[in-house]
Amino acid sequence: MSATTATMPRPDFIHVEDYNFWYGQNQVLFDIDMEIPECQVTALIGPSGCGKSTLLRNMNRMNDLIDGVSHKGDIRLNGTSLYDPDVEVISLRKRVGMVFQKYNPFAKSIYENVVFSLRVAGRGKRCELDETVERSLKDAALWDEVKDRLHDSAFGLSGGQQQRLCIARAIANQPEILLMDEPCAALDPLATLKIEELITTLKKQFTIVIVTHNMEQATRCSDRTAFLYMGKLVEYGDTLQLFGNPKQKDTEAYISGRFS
Amino acid sequence: MQNTHILHDFNEAITALRQEVLAMAGQARLNLERAVESLLTRNVDLANAVIGDDNEVDEMERKVDRLGMEILVRFHPVASDLRLVLSSMKISINLERISDHATSIAKRARKMAKNQELPDVNIVEQVYAMSDQLLRDAITAYNNHDAALALGLHERDKELNRVYKRVSNTLTQRIEEGDERTDDYLHLIFVVRSLERIGDLSVNVGEDTVFMEAAKDVRHDEERQI
Repeated sequence: MSATTATMPRPDFIHVEDYNFWYGQNQVLFDIDMEIPECQVTALIGPSGCGKSTLLRNMNRMNDLIDGVSHKGDIRLNGTSLYDPDVEVISLRKRVGMVFQKYNPFAKSIYENVVFSLRVAGRGKRCELDETVERSLKDAALWDEVKDRLHDSAFGLSGGQQQRLCIARAIANQPEILLMDEPCAALDPLATLKIEELITTLKKQFTIVIVTHNMEQATRCSDRTAFLYMGKLVEYGDTLQLFGNPKQKDTEAYISGRFS
Repeated sequence: MQNTHILHDFNEAITALRQEVLAMAGQARLNLERAVESLLTRNVDLANAVIGDDNEVDEMERKVDRLGMEILVRFHPVASDLRLVLSSMKISINLERISDHATSIAKRARKMAKNQELPDVNIVEQVYAMSDQLLRDAITAYNNHDAALALGLHERDKELNRVYKRVSNTLTQRIEEGDERTDDYLHLIFVVRSLERIGDLSVNVGEDTVFMEAAKDVRHDEERQI
């Protein structure tokens, strides 16, 4: 796991290099070039359709599942290209966990949700599974709330708890990177703050990239922010700098609510 | 980039805040003008009017704070909007102090009017002219988003300080020479000191305007470049 290494955090842990992406003939990302640092939270912001979710989903090649997609350029995870012929998509996704906008636990118990990826990988030793469940739920700040009902249905949890369960499931396999696509969009303000608090804690272990429409959320929990517009990276930098004194007029217009 | 915010309420709130700061600046400057006039013309009624109107400036300061707080709470402004709110609230503090100095001058004018006219009372005029011009330009810079004008106030204040020291020394000399109007000369020393302080406070308004417009904190900055 990245954070357990004794070396300094890598400034280009995820390196997006002149990346272009098409759905069929429709180009949705243009020459994106950015270095995402290790063990920090990087927020992707921009109006709907600007390409931020597409960029996020390219970081674990989820868009491969769609017919007719193509790309030019590269994305490197800790120095290794996502498109390296030796990289298997399955093993890649073990390195990159993902949390979605709508919490989507499986129709299983809390326990089985967390260990799902381990069972798929054929790892069924009881002690390993128990240990993974406790560690993941503790890391997802859910353990104390569910430890006495681990074998109850996941659907019995509140929305905020279900989303934290999804985070526990995403980190159970100890990935290096956690991608979050509007993880609080379906949650109430208090549940949102709990997830934000959790994100701040998790960045000690994981490199986190989060897509959000919530500006305050980006300012609260990200270290760096990238503003995308019409598939282009308009501005990328330190979050406080970007929200305090953006360099680009379009960034200022968007974050201050003046975008046409 | 559009100048208007998508939220109509936000535009109105920002406009209201700016207008309140400008109204406050106008009132503070008027109080200063009338205070000095009351001193030079020995007009007690005018001095009393200045002292009475200081409450209005105090109320305006509270209103600026209230409007600023409302914008922060309701709209969570960022970037230049955030700087505008923060700077406006800080500028209003300086304007309130300027009005306090005007009141102080008016009180001294009232006291001096009880005595015979001091022959060299007009010596304060050149200090007033410079501090008033600094204040006017500070207000203009805020109103016109003119960071360059605001930035230049610091250097111009140095000239005011030189004139203030010269005038202050002249007045001190009168006292040292044993002039029997010691009390009135002391009043004048405090009057020119207030005028010099108004210059400093105008520079502060300029610094807040530079921060608002250029996102640069030039306070305590020797180079003072945007």
